[in-house]
Amino acid sequence: MIGDVIERSLRQRSSLIPVEALLGNCDGSRMPEIVMDRLTPDIAQKLIEVCPTSALRMEEHEGRRRLRLSYGQCIGCGKCGEAGQGAVAVATHFTRCGVTKEQTVRLWDIDSRAEMTPLASSPEEARGQIHSLLQRALNVRQLDAGSCNGCEAEIAALTNPYYDLERFGIHFVASPKHADMLLVTGPVTRNMAEAIKATYEAIPAPKLVVAVGACGCSGGIFAGSHAIVGAVDAVIPVDGYVPGCPPTPAMLVTGILEVLRRRIAK
Amino acid sequence: MREDTPSVFPNGERASPGTMLTFPQSKDGGRARLVTIFGSLGPHGARWVHYVCDVGNPAYSEIVLPADGPLQSIAREVPAAAWHERELHDQYGIQIVGHPDLRPLVFHDNWPDGVYPMIDRVDDVPWSKREYRFLQVQGEGIAEVAVGPVHAGIIEPGHFRFSVVGDTILHLELRHFYTHKGTEKLFEGKSVEDGTMLAESVSGDNCFAHAVCYTQAVENACGIDVPSRATAVRLIGLEYERLVCHISDIGGLCTDVGFSVAAAYATRLKEFLLQASVQCCGTRYWRGVAVPGGLRFDFDPGRTAEFAQAVARASRDFSKIARMILETPSIQNRFETAGVLGREAAQDLAVVGPVARASGIDLDVRRDHPYGGYGNHRIEVPVTHYGDVMARARIRIAEAAASAQLIQDAAKSLPDGSVFIPVTSQGDIQGFSAVESPRGELCYWVEARGGRVTRCHIKSPSFQNWPAMPLTVAGNIIADFPLINKSFNLSYSGCDR
Repeated sequence: MIGDVIERSLRQRSSLIPVEALLGNCDGSRMPEIVMDRLTPDIAQKLIEVCPTSALRMEEHEGRRRLRLSYGQCIGCGKCGEAGQGAVAVATHFTRCGVTKEQTVRLWDIDSRAEMTPLASSPEEARGQIHSLLQRALNVRQLDAGSCNGCEAEIAALTNPYYDLERFGIHFVASPKHADMLLVTGPVTRNMAEAIKATYEAIPAPKLVVAVGACGCSGGIFAGSHAIVGAVDAVIPVDGYVPGCPPTPAMLVTGILEVLRRRIAK
Repeated sequence: MREDTPSVFPNGERASPGTMLTFPQSKDGGRARLVTIFGSLGPHGARWVHYVCDVGNPAYSEIVLPADGPLQSIAREVPAAAWHERELHDQYGIQIVGHPDLRPLVFHDNWPDGVYPMIDRVDDVPWSKREYRFLQVQGEGIAEVAVGPVHAGIIEPGHFRFSVVGDTILHLELRHFYTHKGTEKLFEGKSVEDGTMLAESVSGDNCFAHAVCYTQAVENACGIDVPSRATAVRLIGLEYERLVCHISDIGGLCTDVGFSVAAAYATRLKEFLLQASVQCCGTRYWRGVAVPGGLRFDFDPGRTAEFAQAVARASRDFSKIARMILETPSIQNRFETAGVLGREAAQDLAVVGPVARASGIDLDVRRDHPYGGYGNHRIEVPVTHYGDVMARARIRIAEAAASAQLIQDAAKSLPDGSVFIPVTSQGDIQGFSAVESPRGELCYWVEARGGRVTRCHIKSPSFQNWPAMPLTVAGNIIADFPLINKSFNLSYSGCDR
């Protein structure tokens, strides 16, 4: 019986997704993308009214109105897409993974319809540097600070035969004492705050921390609850942010590699 | 709750303080199964306690008692009520008389005494230091092993306190609610529509069941009938979620006994399904699909048919893997007789879902209290009485095949028409809904005023099933604990909320 299964596996085509196809891929994440030609002041107003997590906001800057989209707060609910009359599409490409908190924010001048924020890093740049990243090993400890388990499901998927994170020399380890990187999901609950700090302390320096998902980046839909302390950076220092609710495995790969790239480029 | 549901103390009628609860009988003459207990606030801050019971097809029964004084505990007669009553005490400050164990459940050492989130202001709660006493098992050679809240894997946090002699577990005490996020309180003030997104974040891998259960509660409250095309698509989503969860669970069981080939196959099949779902509706876990009144968008018939084909293929492959797993002697050796949950204990704790069905309790919301599109389908409910890891695995394997078949049937006969009907929820409304999630009976009770949620209670199957898990590990070796725990597959976040 087991022989049949192994034989079958050998006959099947490999399901491994090449790294070039993973970087910047966000299929299934429902991340919004602003279509600038369609953006009017009225539509922008509508967008900020429907957004349930205030990921979309309007702000004044030197007398001009700007639409602010904070991907770290976005849960991809799709309400802006419904209300946007074509001004909001589902993103087909997303590189703001593993970036700084500032880089998870995009700004558009509403009157001139121009984007005020540069692209975090070009996929070409990341691809060019990928081989230097792949000569290294990285031990990752996943830490749930109060997540709904959506992010856990996607992080667990990184070890399946499609993503196979081990090919990059990246391993999940059981103890924080063996870890180089902490992948933290969820808003930090009151009941977990102490354990998060203790786990962070247990990691040998130098340590990298990645806040994963809308909750980890900003508190997400749970922001303001009496039972949470806040986002991950309210409790421990964070090196990179991976938006999404939950981020897809491709976004997680992009994010982990981007944090590494930035670390090495330093 | 719908009008045809009997209510012993209808809302508004006050029983005198200290009135004992008369627990309803089920239709077969036994004591009705406890579904949930929760509090709500009436005018002028009056506290009410709601007891919901399953008295048999088709109705759920609700009893509402005033809680203007201490409440008599029913936990000694109905052990399933124990955690519910502790939560009432923690959240509403209701005194429970005669409870065998009233230690704090939801809030930990950092929470000050006398602050009750559902009745007090909680914008700036000070940090405190209380002491929590674990049960002490004493005797020669007995050691304590403390595990968690941070576990050695990609899993959720919780604390397990084992008392062991050598390798053998004598007693296990749980301490959970590390992921408590105050979700029920957060619903308050949300628009009825936006409540869906919070429901989707209660338990991520069962997010569609939560979304559908919440939206159904709102729809029941407003008395609207969702278009049949929407209920058919929801059925496909609910069964897809069950299929994915069960495949993932079987893979997890194989991981825990070191059977890597089958485990890798299961993760591959799960990912194949998630990607097929992206092709069909743009989301892996069906977030942002359900909304009160139906669906956020219509499903393309061609893509839905392709999705059904992908499901059929995955199901065929899974049944082969499943057969291999069940026929492997070393697997049988580990799965059989491990972590036995007897029928009586299962009944006492009112467990639900695959765990209940593996312990001889014939229970399935889809068949017993049909909702959405389930009235149009024949639901096969596999039941076995062994109550061990193998029984729970067999139930999941049988259910996965049935779910795949239901998806085929529903996709073949997808009704035409719209997928959304506007919900008008301006007045005072109350609604209840139950859904058979992959982990079992999930319930939402929603109260809203002027289109804003004023109270939302979530009874998750994990909250009900967690207390049963420790009973099954006594007498097993500690190395079998991860396997037994996985065979229950309970959600920490769903339990803690």
